[in-house]
Amino acid sequence: MTPETLFQIANPLAMLGWLALLASPLAPRVLMPLASVVLPLLLALAYSGLVLAHLAGAEGGFSSLAEVQRLFTQPEIALAGWLHYLAFDLFVGAWATRTAHDEGIPHLFLIPCLVLTFLFGPAGFLAFWLLRTSRMVKKKASA
Amino acid sequence: MTSGIVFSPRSRLVDRIHRAAPQLTGITLLIALATLPILAAMALDGRSFQGEDIWLKPLKFHIALAIYVGSLAVYALALPPGTMTTRRWRLYQSVVLGAILAELAWISGAAALGTGSHFNLTIPGLYPLMGLAAVTLTSLSLVMGLTFWKLGTSTLHLGLAIGLILTFVLTVIVAGTMSNGTGHHIGTVVTGARIPVMGWSREAGDLRVAHFLATHAMHAVPLAALTGARPVVWGVAVAYTAITFGAFVQALLGLPLI
Repeated sequence: MTPETLFQIANPLAMLGWLALLASPLAPRVLMPLASVVLPLLLALAYSGLVLAHLAGAEGGFSSLAEVQRLFTQPEIALAGWLHYLAFDLFVGAWATRTAHDEGIPHLFLIPCLVLTFLFGPAGFLAFWLLRTSRMVKKKASA
Repeated sequence: MTSGIVFSPRSRLVDRIHRAAPQLTGITLLIALATLPILAAMALDGRSFQGEDIWLKPLKFHIALAIYVGSLAVYALALPPGTMTTRRWRLYQSVVLGAILAELAWISGAAALGTGSHFNLTIPGLYPLMGLAAVTLTSLSLVMGLTFWKLGTSTLHLGLAIGLILTFVLTVIVAGTMSNGTGHHIGTVVTGARIPVMGWSREAGDLRVAHFLATHAMHAVPLAALTGARPVVWGVAVAYTAITFGAFVQALLGLPLI
């Protein structure tokens, strides 16, 4: 399978996961396992295959920024990096969704955090924690 | 959102096997599942090693060791309950599992690195260490075989005892000889013709044939025990040993199986 083909398959899979999270209140018992386990695992499997197959023979390394940049000039490694984003961002999004549900955070507040996590991974994670922390402080104040 | 994601309807047989040999059952499933990333790597890798897909060997070793430990877990059903969960047995099995995981990790790691795992002498001390791990993981068949021998109450116990002990003895002889050479072929391979699936050479002697037979004594002899007749068990054991040595000598003479 070429890196391009895998890229074309992986993107809709991740997209499906994000739609599942957005729609999760409708059918949590189906959508949550899909978005939090099945799809991240599929992406993780493809990532692992790529790294096992291509990392040892790749040019570049992790010792300097220039080395890392050189690593990502190779399509297989760049694709592995992309799958890493897709898998972990989705997993973090699923964690936030589950946490929001468990802590009674309204889904409407969660949605912007999910969108941020989808587009800018760690920024969405940060936004969700800001939301969580502000609610905790509010709860303490009103208690 | 804690709805279970475990949707495996666990059969009572699997539960019984797991109770008799929890460590072996666990590692069997782990090794079987570990074939998934290997298959993914296989699909995404174009490299080959000695004329075969580079991931074929890790795949074969995972399948073979899953069958090996899975069989031992099933055989544990024939032991008195609780035998394999005593402190001593658990400790010993932990050592064996460590050897299995180390072996598989290096075989897979070598594939990732694009180098040989067995017969790799570029890293000092590594190949003897693999031999040590291999003997350690094979020793479990001997230890379980001796345990069945001491029980010795039924024909099945006899078959399991002889089969398991033969697996250890024959494997150590064949694999030991193989590892002291330079590779699994005796003779020169020109065209690379192979027997399908198993990958044994059709041009040169291939010691892996005898290794395969030696290790599967643990399946052949207990099968004979299902007849319920002790002479059949002994007869099959002798015949099987003879066939294994026949394949061994054939390979040493540089002759292919077929």
